[in-house]
Formats: sequence, C-alpha cells, structure tokens
Amino acid sequence: MAELSVPAEVSEKLSGLPVASAVALHLKADQYFDAIQGMIDRFATKKDLEVIYVTSTIPSQSILNAMEALEISVEHIWFVDCITQIMMSQAKRHPHSIVVESPTMLENIMLKVEFLLRKNPDRSALVVLDSINSLAIHNNTKILSEFLHILVNNLRARGAYTVIISMQEYETEEIRNMLVLVSDEAVELGD
Amino acid sequence: MPTKEHDAGERERCVTGIDAIDHILNGGIPRGNTVLVSGSVGTGKTSICIEFLIRGALEGENSLYLSVTEPTDKLLKNVIPFDFFDERLSKQGKLQFVDLPKIYEELGIDKEDMDFKEARLLASRIASIVEEQKIRRLVLDSVTSVCYRIKDQERIRDFLLRLGTVLSAKGCTSLLVSEIRSTEEGYSRWGVEEALADGVIVTGNLERRGDLLRTLQIVKMRGTSHSRAKYVLDLTTSGVLLVPLLKGGSVAGGG
Repeated sequence: MAELSVPAEVSEKLSGLPVASAVALHLKADQYFDAIQGMIDRFATKKDLEVIYVTSTIPSQSILNAMEALEISVEHIWFVDCITQIMMSQAKRHPHSIVVESPTMLENIMLKVEFLLRKNPDRSALVVLDSINSLAIHNNTKILSEFLHILVNNLRARGAYTVIISMQEYETEEIRNMLVLVSDEAVELGD
Repeated sequence: MPTKEHDAGERERCVTGIDAIDHILNGGIPRGNTVLVSGSVGTGKTSICIEFLIRGALEGENSLYLSVTEPTDKLLKNVIPFDFFDERLSKQGKLQFVDLPKIYEELGIDKEDMDFKEARLLASRIASIVEEQKIRRLVLDSVTSVCYRIKDQERIRDFLLRLGTVLSAKGCTSLLVSEIRSTEEGYSRWGVEEALADGVIVTGNLERRGDLLRTLQIVKMRGTSHSRAKYVLDLTTSGVLLVPLLKGGSVAGGG
C-alpha cells in the first residue's frame, strides 16, 4: 500500500476523530508546512470549519505567505499572532490577523480566541495552537498547563476541534506530560 | 413559575447582557441594586457601563447615561464601535445620554460647593427623570465628580442614600462610576460610596513580568452569591470579554 503524504496523513488522522477532540500533533520540523496544509487545506475545508490559528512560532504573515504559495484560501482562517509585536516589526498587518502583545499574555490569547469564535458563532471551528514548544520558551510549565487546561476545556465545551502542535525536536518530558493531560489523542506522523 | 431571570425565592435579575459578568453573578445584577464600578483610568469602566446600557436598550429597557466628566458627543466619538449597537435605540429614546452640567444649570446649581439642599435637589431631579422616562438602567459617570462638588462626607452620604433608595424603589439598576488612583486603597475617593453601594465591581491594571493586563473583580454584590475571583478583561467590538486570571505560580500572591 502506498505511503500517504504528510498533508493526507494529517487530514486522515484528524478526520477519524470525534467532534470537539483535542489533539496533540507531534511533528518533525521538516513536516511543518505540510502538516499545516493537511490541517487547513484538507481537514478544515472538508469539514467546513472556521480556523483560528494561534501562532507563537513564526509571524502570521510568514504563514500567510506560505499559504499563498500553496494556493490555500484564507477566507475562513483567522490568526492570533503572539510573535509579530515583540519582534517590533513594521510588517503590514493582514485583516485576518489579530496581534497579542507577547506570548506571555496567555489570558489575552484566550480572549482573542473567544472574540474570533463570537465573530462566527454559526460555524464550527478548528483552533490550532502553534506551538506548545514556543509557548514554553516564554512561560513556565505551571502557567502553561493552567492555560491549556482552561482553553482546551472551553473549546471542547463549544464543540471546537483543538490541535496543539508540538515539534518533536524540542519536546521535553514536561511538555509531553502536559499534552497527555489536556489532549484526547496524540498523533505522531510517519517519517 | 420561575423564569430564566427570576428563580423562586431569588431576587429578580437585571441581566447585564455581558455574558461573563452575568455568569459571575449567577444570572445578573439583582434588580434595583446600585453598583459602584470602581477603577483607575483606562481600565474599561466606561466601556462596561455603555455596554450595560446598550444591551439593556436592545432588550427594551429604557437606559440613561448621565455624563459628568465629558460631553456626551465627545464620549460617543471615542467609545468602542460595538457590533451590536443600533443607532435607532437613541432615536427611539431607549438609550439616552444626558450631560449632568445641563441639569446643574437647569436646577440653578452654580456654586462649586453644593449644600444639603442642592444635593437633595439633584437626587430628586435624577429620580424624576428616571420616573418620567421609565428608566430601568442608569449610569452616572462619574459619581466621583458629583461628590467633588458635594465635598462634605455627610452630604455625600445623604445624597447617595437618597439616590440609591429612590432608584431601587423604581426598579432601576444603576452603575455609579468611581474614579480612583491606581495606588489608592479602597474603592472610592471618600469611602462613603462603597459602603452605601449594593455592589462593587473593581477594574484595574495588573503588571506581570512587564505585561499590563486589564482586570475585573466583583468584590461585593448584595442579593446574589458570586465569584470573587479576578478575571482578565478585553474590550472588543463584540463587547467586554473576560477570562480567569491565570495563577500558575508565576506571580507572588497570584497577582
């Protein structure tokens, strides 16, 4: 049997999960953009989901540029960008991007996600947290665990899918334990 | 039969329409309560109050904003453009903005220092507007500015007692904005306001590792059980949003 591409594998694994699942997606760095394509272009499009993409890894504009190159429509994608502001960059802000001043302002991340969910109350949502590793650079484990616990339970109660990206190269024991605690499923991609 | 707003044995609620606040208060502010909304500058007091009035007006409750500190036309230019605001509310008289200095003028209160008689006259005038216009929600922004003109603690006590009693009797739920300094202890400038109010909602700024978070805490509300925890606040076009303040062991005393 032919091996699935990364986008197809991500989409297939997410599609097999019940609504409102919280998933820890363990990736290798070289699978990053393919995994995003799988989540957004395939899974979210197929399920007709509104995507709220929380990025603390790279600026939303870089992801938007990659999406443009991959010809992915951003009509139903909204960004909560926690990194552009602390980079003090003068980059033009995309209308689908909301800035949080710093990845340490975890409550404000929750508030922006809530705001975006309220903007589209009639559509189901996929919330992507990219990534637990970059958030762990700026926050200690205790506050990060508390944040995930509240956020994931809130999203679950609202019927939204949550995907928490974890880069395998930067995973620690603490991060793995945290993800086990809050997620319903752990998805690891093949080589 | 108990309704959504009014369970058997409980006081009728004024559902603020601000979901998180209604959640914290187990259904809303007990109808007729006078609530102090206290905080330093830029903490969201006025936005909370305006949303409270708009949400009420949208539900058909006549709502009145009494502005002391700035003319209402200037205030309205700077207010958040709420998605749910409907301009027809003002035209229909459901949502009214009145500059208090105009009432001072109408009553002939021109001295800097209001005496007992003038303070009582002002309380009566506000009460008569509430009665004539069938006002169900009132905001006085700010009670601090009014008290500055009354000055004396006894007179302030008398004014607030009269105002609170008459508003409560008319079933009007009111928010009185209290301006305090960030370093100030207590929730009001004279200390009298918080003692007489049925409820106290405190907004503030919390600095955590260089980040400045807007916070909200309900420290007192007569007539209902409620959470007394601190929440983080965001002022958005969808309205005031709140989430719990994370403790995480990262801040001594949890902020």
